[in-house]
Amino acid sequence: MNNIRLAWRNIWRNKRRTLLTAASVFLAIFLALIVRSLQIGWFDNLSDIVIQSYSGHIQIHKKGYWDDRDINNSMVFNDSVLAVVKSVKNVDKTVPRLEYFALSSFGKQTKGVMLAGTDPAREDALTKLSAKVVRGRYLEPRGKGILVSQGLASFLGLTAGDTLVLIGQGFHGVSAAGKYPVTGIVHFPSPVLDNQMVYMNLPAAQDFFSADDRITSLSVTLKNPEEINSTRDALQRRVDGGKFEVMRWDEMMVEIMQQLKVKTAGGKIIIAILYMIVGFGVFGTVIMMTNERTREFGVIVSVGMQKSRLAFILVLEMILIGLTGLLSGVAAAMPIMLYFKFNPLHLWGNMAQAFISYGIEPLMPLALKSDFIITNVITVILIVFVTCIYPVRRIFTLNVAEALHK
Amino acid sequence: MNIIEITGLSKVYDANTMPVYALNGVDLAFQQGEFTCIVGPSGSGKTTMLNMLGGLDSPSSGKIMIDNTDITGLTSRQLINFRLRNIGFVFQSFNLIPVLTARENVEFIMQLQGVNKDQRDQRTLELLDSVGLNDKINTRPNKLSGGQQQRVAVARALASKPKFILADEPTANLDSKSAEILLEIMEKLNREEKITFIFSTHDSRVVAKARRVVTLEDGKILSDVSSTRPGS
Ligand SMILES: Nc1ncnc2c1ncn2[C@@H]1O[C@H](COP(=O)(O)OP(=O)(O)OP(=O)(O)O)[C@@H](O)[C@H]1O
Ligand SMILES: [Mg+2]
Repeated sequence: MNNIRLAWRNIWRNKRRTLLTAASVFLAIFLALIVRSLQIGWFDNLSDIVIQSYSGHIQIHKKGYWDDRDINNSMVFNDSVLAVVKSVKNVDKTVPRLEYFALSSFGKQTKGVMLAGTDPAREDALTKLSAKVVRGRYLEPRGKGILVSQGLASFLGLTAGDTLVLIGQGFHGVSAAGKYPVTGIVHFPSPVLDNQMVYMNLPAAQDFFSADDRITSLSVTLKNPEEINSTRDALQRRVDGGKFEVMRWDEMMVEIMQQLKVKTAGGKIIIAILYMIVGFGVFGTVIMMTNERTREFGVIVSVGMQKSRLAFILVLEMILIGLTGLLSGVAAAMPIMLYFKFNPLHLWGNMAQAFISYGIEPLMPLALKSDFIITNVITVILIVFVTCIYPVRRIFTLNVAEALHK
Repeated sequence: MNIIEITGLSKVYDANTMPVYALNGVDLAFQQGEFTCIVGPSGSGKTTMLNMLGGLDSPSSGKIMIDNTDITGLTSRQLINFRLRNIGFVFQSFNLIPVLTARENVEFIMQLQGVNKDQRDQRTLELLDSVGLNDKINTRPNKLSGGQQQRVAVARALASKPKFILADEPTANLDSKSAEILLEIMEKLNREEKITFIFSTHDSRVVAKARRVVTLEDGKILSDVSSTRPGS
């Protein structure tokens, strides 16, 4: 009779209790995984949207630019700078942009706009801007053609083929002015963007702002987003740290991150409560199991089983009960997470409206990643181990003569 | 030859508040092959004495030599190991591991000792046969009568080939018929296999079967009488 078989038989002495305990573990791990999967799925989804619609994983600016987004805080960008950035292993795509405010005018209408000069091909590779074109053509790498966002276009009353006048202040206060043919209209789901964006190619923007060779930001995407910290550090080392700032996307999007954190905190509290309930449930079972069997322990130690082995068997019993609940819980949650990872949930009501207003599809995929599953599994195993402290202590301090009297 | 020698054995409970001398300076020796009964009124110290002999409890003072080992000097681990190799136990009731069958309960001891499977199997069957339970080998304790359970306990106690078997009121929870059968088995094992039994009882019919009767009172030996029995 080996330890595992003995433990296995022992746990089925009280079927109902064992099943109840296993069921509580099942429910806890199941719910915890689903909650985490929802949260992480939501978080990753929004992160991806932010990263892919604008920021990239990392951005490089002139030091101080992010706090004061002024054209005078732009930096020189050329092939040698690009080569340095590209020399960092994990770097995938890069998009140079020159962004600043300008005043637009068409007919009798005038409106402030955000003018973004960008590399058309690289911009498209990151943000798929060409897919947002609803009329006309996408940007050309050369020439003065511009894209105007749809909300802005309808405010000004222009369409593809018209010419827009742009006026503003360039680098070092030089006045900027020019006439630009509208080659295409782009639509952004987010009203904020849709009402103010004007895109042109980078050389045209540099020309407009009298900022030759300058950009305000270089967006970088990574091959392996998990290594974002080491990549940021590597970039920071390669580029001159005194002159440039290298920021993670979430360091830039402080407000969004704050909101995400607040939202996920609630879920963590739910999980903590779940685990507490389970912890006490399992502990109750352990106490009953131990106390009912005190006399039996006395007999077993009397006839010659070492206390350490007896304690080991008891821990095994708890592990078997715990694992039964744990594995079935993971097994039950897995297909659900898998299904909704590839068939995202459709959000509804206010939440869906909020997503749409930010230009985000109201979909929520569940995450299925080994790390949070492992973390939760380990947490449950730890809880089970902690509850085992009680019976193990009881066994090691067992007074055999007294136990036999029970 | 003496297999057990106890000298000046005392056990004091609640030494600081209201000291109770469960045993009070007992000197006693037991020989190989004895069939000895410890008697005495309730509270006289029988259980305490058997617990001391079995190394289940430690004395307040005195020495217990078993085969030249002073067991009062052993660590808890050593003591458990010593019990496993030298002493068989039969308790008043609920002796058996409930999740194991009769056969597994007996085999269990030999497994703890590290006896190999073939030897275990053979000896288990022999032992259960010798206590008259060869038709119950695969039965779990809760399906056995009290008397049958005690007989399995005797078989288990024998399994380790101990130097002696201690039994604290082994018949206390049995009807008289079962008690008689159990005693007969113990007697037969003593007679035929020279197994040493030291047991306690309140039952005069059980006392009558003993060849040596040690009477305790207030933790002291009141009398120690050996009788020769026909054929031994
Ligand atoms: N754990 C203990 N704590 C305090 N006193 C105890 C303890 N165990 C036994 N005693 C006392 O020691 C004395 C001897 O007890 P013991 O159990 O050895 O008697 P016994 O002869 O076996 O009695 P019985 O025939 O009732 O089983 C009694 O006075 C008892 O109250
Ligand atoms: Mg007693």
